[in-house]
Amino acid sequence: MSIVELCQAIQQTAWATRFRQADLFFPLVEGTHILSLSLSVGLILMLDVRILRLGFQSEPVSRIMRQVMRWALPGFAIMFVTGVLLFLAQAESVYTNSYFRVKMLMLLLLGINAAVFQFKYFPSMVVWDSGEAVPAGAQVIAVVSLIFWMVVIACGRLMAYEL
Amino acid sequence: MSLQRLWQMSYDSKTIDILRNSKHAIPIIQSFHLFGITLLLGAMVILNFRMLGIGFGETRLEVLAKPVWKWATSGLLLAMASGFFVFVPDPARYAANKSFLVKMTVLLVAILFQYTFYRRVVRTESANVRPGRHVVVPLVSLTLWFTVAWAGRSIAFLG
Repeated sequence: MSIVELCQAIQQTAWATRFRQADLFFPLVEGTHILSLSLSVGLILMLDVRILRLGFQSEPVSRIMRQVMRWALPGFAIMFVTGVLLFLAQAESVYTNSYFRVKMLMLLLLGINAAVFQFKYFPSMVVWDSGEAVPAGAQVIAVVSLIFWMVVIACGRLMAYEL
Repeated sequence: MSLQRLWQMSYDSKTIDILRNSKHAIPIIQSFHLFGITLLLGAMVILNFRMLGIGFGETRLEVLAKPVWKWATSGLLLAMASGFFVFVPDPARYAANKSFLVKMTVLLVAILFQYTFYRRVVRTESANVRPGRHVVVPLVSLTLWFTVAWAGRSIAFLG
């Protein structure tokens, strides 16, 4: 069975059909997916703002990061759960949508971007995070994060028009 | 000139016709709208959670307030500017949409509340606010902004 066939099978289950056509539940899940952007991406953007010294400069990066992550992580968890539900409801149409594929690619790259930050810059943070200068590499990571998250949001919006 | 006529004029305009008939124009403008909202709500969450005492307690309120204010306002302006271009191609549709009317009303209240009363509370009390001291003010702020966002989402679903 190919992935497309699997997605087709999922989309055709009674559960997926009922969910897709639900007057209240579907918009509620979709709305929650979109509004949890405020916790997840919204807070990450504020961390990017601090790394780029566009705000919160008097606070060490590590302190802002720690406080941001406490709420961004649950935000991403909500995003992920509602996203998986939305995928299952329309598995075939979503899987074959090119914006969805770009979105997934962007999320993968954002994951790598975050991992590079975690392994390359996080360990040495105590050295630089209260000072004037933020390593150029860390700033590049923040800019990539800003731009890619914007692309993710745009792909999500564009794909919704084609489902 | 009646509003009705204004909607008609906007509907008939050539430039706006391009927006309406391009397959990608509206979703792309909406992406900027969503990005603005994300910025606005992300910033607002920081200040309001701090006031509620459920996060950002390691940083003093006045240190958070300035950048939060700046970025929330930028997000709001981006959302309003892009929202305008979603609205003009089809004003009559939105004017007849209950969710849209609720959204605009609550938006007006939210802006007034945020930039008058809320701002004063943050300014006058920021010197020594213990987390959790204000409960009502941040709750009202969060409720207003998230109501605007939910009403916006339901424009497409509820009408």
